[in-house]
This record gives sequence, structure tokens and C-alpha cells, in this order.
Amino acid sequence: MLQQTIGGVAAQQTVAPSAPYLSVEKIAKAYRETRVVEDLDFAVERGELVSLLGPSGCGKTTLLRLISGLVSADAGRVVVGGRDITRLPAHKRNVSVVFQNYALFPHLNVRENVGFGLKARGRAKAGIHDAVTEALQLVRMEAFADRPVSALSGGQQQRVAVARALVVEPDLLLLDEPFSALDRKLRETMQVELKSLLRAKGMTAIFVTHDQEEALAVSSRIAVMNAGRIEQYADPVTLYTRPATGFVLDFVGLSTRIAGTVSKSESGFIEVDTAYGVVRVPGRFRPGSKVLLGVRPERIRPVSPDAAPADSEVRITSMLADVMCLGSKTHLYGEAAEDDRLVSEVSGAQAAESLLPGESVAFEWPREATLVYPLGAA
Amino acid sequence: MSVALPSAEATRRPRLRVDPFVLLAAPGLLYLAILFALPLAILLFRSFQASDGTFSIAGYIAFFSDPHNLSVTWRTLKVAILSTLLCLVLAYPTAFALARARGIVQSLILVAMVLPLSVGVIVKAFSWSIVLRSDGIVNQTLLALGLVEAPVRLLFTETALVIGSANVFLPFMVLPIYAVVRQIDPELSPAAASLGAGPFFRFFQVVLPLTLPGVIAGVAFVFSLAISMYVIPSLLVGERLSTMSMLIARSFLFFRDAQLGSTISAILLLMAVIVVLGSSYLVRHVSGGRA
Ligand SMILES: Nc1ncnc2c1ncn2[C@@H]1O[C@H](COP(=O)(O)OP(=O)(O)OP(=O)(O)O)[C@@H](O)[C@H]1O
Ligand SMILES: [Mg+2]
Repeated sequence: MLQQTIGGVAAQQTVAPSAPYLSVEKIAKAYRETRVVEDLDFAVERGELVSLLGPSGCGKTTLLRLISGLVSADAGRVVVGGRDITRLPAHKRNVSVVFQNYALFPHLNVRENVGFGLKARGRAKAGIHDAVTEALQLVRMEAFADRPVSALSGGQQQRVAVARALVVEPDLLLLDEPFSALDRKLRETMQVELKSLLRAKGMTAIFVTHDQEEALAVSSRIAVMNAGRIEQYADPVTLYTRPATGFVLDFVGLSTRIAGTVSKSESGFIEVDTAYGVVRVPGRFRPGSKVLLGVRPERIRPVSPDAAPADSEVRITSMLADVMCLGSKTHLYGEAAEDDRLVSEVSGAQAAESLLPGESVAFEWPREATLVYPLGAA
Repeated sequence: MSVALPSAEATRRPRLRVDPFVLLAAPGLLYLAILFALPLAILLFRSFQASDGTFSIAGYIAFFSDPHNLSVTWRTLKVAILSTLLCLVLAYPTAFALARARGIVQSLILVAMVLPLSVGVIVKAFSWSIVLRSDGIVNQTLLALGLVEAPVRLLFTETALVIGSANVFLPFMVLPIYAVVRQIDPELSPAAASLGAGPFFRFFQVVLPLTLPGVIAGVAFVFSLAISMYVIPSLLVGERLSTMSMLIARSFLFFRDAQLGSTISAILLLMAVIVVLGSSYLVRHVSGGRA
């Protein structure tokens, strides 16, 4: 008996430092033939707030539902704090969810909504009252305690939903696009509030969004999801400077993207046939492979087509299609082939005045700033 | 007229302002007033009128002093309650299935619900009597299987009446509940689950309170239909087990006793009104006035 306990503690101690707080292992979910989530691995450290970023329909909500137990996994495991909860029903997992549409109970007032989880856990009335009051203070909604939820604005409903999810002291908080229904101003306020609230509570949370700016504002790490898989899970700087896939390149931030075919490959360099001529960039691909070249816009300079190119630079020429002045910076778009994009970012607004659409322009960037991705059948 | 007048007028006589939308109900109300309320008032009036035209409560005294009438009233009430309960038990899950079903499945269930209404009660009642009579298919099957020795009496029983009437009234219970279930956000139950609520807690704290208005409306519909039914009992149980409506018909048609007929009508109406008003009171108060 004693032996076992000690063994158990010891085992936990040896595992705990390396094992993440939440770990989702090889999880899969299909609806009929459609595989919505495929062999997905995902992990969150204790107290961390991470974002799940991806386009509509990529499976973000499904992944949250798998973690919270609202849908059952076809395969794989969910482990929270060392406890395998894969087979537990949602109400036994202690994982709170803030739903996209808030899902407040319309027949209950604000106080009853927030107290619902505690009542379901069989807490005593007095304890519930105090805990609810505290939770409402936390989201600054104590003045609305006795209102019906239908008499609240979107932002207020949002706060109630967050209070309702937090008051039960969940092991994990999942937020499914919680601010998507709010206007921009309110959304930014709520992002800041939520972030400090969760940090103060030391809450481990996953924040789903399809808005990359929101993901950047809220979280330390971002998992970019596409078609049921996580394409890259990294901090914002890494995502931007070293996108793991062509999808991440496109989805996070703006980029120049050029499709082409490798025509020659030697000593760590490839020559790629593009719609704008042959370019030579670092990379290892077999001749004949289709590739996607990506460059972040601030690495690209517009230069005069007549100047001689330096050997360290890649240069392509095109026609200036559009000039977008964004105040402190200007985006110059070149005429591009279908599915390609040529964009250069220069600081200041002067470029907008000196360059005119229709002029011929050369784009130049350092060879090593080129990101190369295989271009699949997709 | 005064509804559209500017605010100066309105502030002087605030109580006279009428929501213009109320006027939309005017034709319907007028129709009901002439064809329903007026005759009913006359009926009520006549229940207090002796044959010589003087005021009298003799009709009520006569009614309540006859044990046969009391037993008919009790049976009518009992059958109506049982039929309503049976409808409720069958309709509640059906309404959910209907609300959650999509496309063709939903249409099929809806048609299956509504189509039998067009068959007509008489046709239905006759077809039951064919199936249920002592040499009918049910009894033949039971006999052939050796489950019974002699034919079981199925027709002319209260059970037959309850089952038969519930069959006719089922759509009137399903549709109001369905209308409410449709409005319920399907995320509410998952939300409750993620807050730690098990299936029972979810049902009694979320699903049931939210569907209550539909349940109460359905109960009011079915109960008032069931308590006043005439054709179904006439065909299924006959004179042997009368209901109040049959008593009313007999009073008017055979006994030519308008006061007795009016009296029973008034009592029947009173019972229905109590249930309907009681239900709408419940809708407003049980669901906390927020439904
Ligand atoms: N119950 C279901 N039955 C069948 N297909 C479903 C079901 N739920 C989701 N799907 C499908 O699974 C895919 C992923 O859905 P999911 O809701 O997880 O996407 P999402 O990333 O949350 O999208 P959004 O940003 O629009 O909310 C979609 O193609 C969707 O049609
Ligand atoms: Mg979603």
C-alpha cells in the first residue's frame, strides 16, 4: 500500500516536469466519411494561454469539443494534469467552455447563469452566492446580477459567459471565438481584460479564433490549424519569420508568393522557373518539382528596372498594379500571375506619391530571405 | 384613429393609446365574438332560466343530484386527463426528434403527424372498431397465439377511449412542443454539460423549464379537446359509457331539456376554462415570467 503510494508519487514526479499540462495525442474525429480532425497532437503548459488559429471549417470547434468531451474521439487520448480523461463524459471533465454564441441560459438571470455550474456540483447556496458575487466582480458585472440575460448587450453577455465558465475553477478553459460577435473596439478591450484575468487566475486556456491579429494579441503561442491538422505551433515571431508550410506563410501575415517549377538543383541552390523568369534561391528540391516561393513584404525592395542586380539578391520585374498607403508604411503590389502575389512593403508614405500604377518595377530581395515550400496537388 | 396622433395628444390621454398591432387581431376577435362568445353567453343565460322563463338554478341542482351525471362528469374528466397524459408522454420525445431531424426525415415526421388529421375522426373511429371488435384482428391474433382463451373486450372500454382519443389529439400536443424546442439554442445542453451538469440535472434545470411553455400549451389544447369530445366516445364506447358532450346532446335532442343541456355545457366550459387559464398562468409564473 505504502509502497504503491510512494511509487505513484515518484512516478508522477519523474513524469511531471517533462509532460505538458494538457496533452492531446493522436486524436481523430470523422463525421461519416469526412475526417474533420486527423491524428492531431497538441500540448499546452500549465498556466499558458495559447491560440488555435485557422480558417472557417478547419476543425477548431471540433478539437475544442474533443478536449471538452462534447464529442467523443474516434481515436487518440486527452490527458489533463496527468489524468487521462478521454473516456470521461463532458460533465465529469472539469473543462469549461465559453461558446461562440455565449449559450447563456435564457430562463435564468445573470446570477443564476453564473451559479449554474456550482449548483450542478451540489454546492451549498451560501457558498454559491459568494462565489458568484466574486466572479461577477471579476468581470465587472456585479451591478447586473439580477438582470435577465436577454437584457444584456453582447459584451455584457460575453462577460457573463466568462464568469460562468471561471467560477467553477476548471482545470482548463476553452474559448471558442468568444469575441467574434463584438465590434472591433470592444473586442480589443475584452482581449486585454481576458488576458490579465486569466493570468491573475493562473488559468490554462485555449483560445480559438480565425483572426490572426487577435491570436497575436492574446497568446504567447499559436497553433495554426488547417484541414483538421496543426500545421505549425510556435510563437508569433517564428510563425512570421519561419512559417513551416505554405499554408502558414499565407495565413499568418502578408507575403509575396510565387509558384514555379524547379529546373536545376545543385549545391544547396535551386533554379526555379516562374512567371517572371528564372530565380535562383537556396533550397534542395529535385528538378521537376513544383515549389512555392515565399517572401515577407518588408524584405522586398522596389528598385529601378535599369539598375544592375547584385549577386546576393533575387530580382524579378513586373508592372506596378496597386499602391496602398497605410500611413506609416506603403504596400506596393506588382502584376502577378494567377494565385501568385507580389507585394513589397516600404516605410513611410512617400512611395505612394512617387510611384504610379502601370509603371514597370523591379522587386529585389536577399536570396536567403526566400522561403521555399513544396507545392502539392492542392 | 387616436393611435397615430402626435405625442401632445398622447400625453394628455396616455391610457387610451392602443398598440396599432392589436388592430390586426380585430377581424378574428369580431368573428369569435359573433360566432362563439354571443351564443355561449346565451347558453349560459339559459342555464339559469326555467322553462317558464324565470331565473332558477334548478338545472344545476338537478344535475348535481343525479349520481349518473356525477359519474359521467368524473369519467369525462378522468378520460381527458389520461388522454392528455398519454399524449404528453408520446409527444415530448417526438417533438425533440422532429426538431433535431433535418430535411426529408423532418418532413416525413411532420407529414405523419399532420396527415392523420385529414382522415377525419369518424373514419378513424370506424377503422378502430374493425380492428378492436371481438372478432377483429387483434383478438384473432391473441386467440391464435393462445394468449387468451376468449375474446377480450377492447371496444366499449375506457381504455379504448383513452387510447383512441390520444391518437387523434397527438398532433395538438406535438406541434406546440416542437415549436418551442425549435427555438431552443442547441448549444445550451452542451454548455450545461461542460459546466458539470449530468443528464438529469440538464433535463430538469435546462431542457424542461425551456420547453414548459410548449408543454402547457399542448396540455391546454389536448385537454380542452378531450374533455369535450363527442364523436370518438359515441363510436368507440357508445351510450354505455357516456361523456359530458353526449349528455349535452341527449339533453337537447332527446329530452328537449334546454336548461339541463345549457347547464352541462356551462359546467363543461368551466372545466375547460379553468385548465386553459391555469396553463397560461403557469406559463407566466413557473418559467419565472421570462419565457
Ligand atoms: N455534427 C457534425 N456533423 C457533420 N459534420 C460536422 C459536424 N460538426 C462539424 N462538422 C464539419 O466539420 C468541419 C469542421 O467543423 P468545425 O466546426 O470544427 O470548424 P471550425 O474550424 O470551428 O469553423 P468555424 O471557424 O467556422 O467555426 C466542417 O467542415 C463541418 O462541416
Ligand atoms: Mg467553430
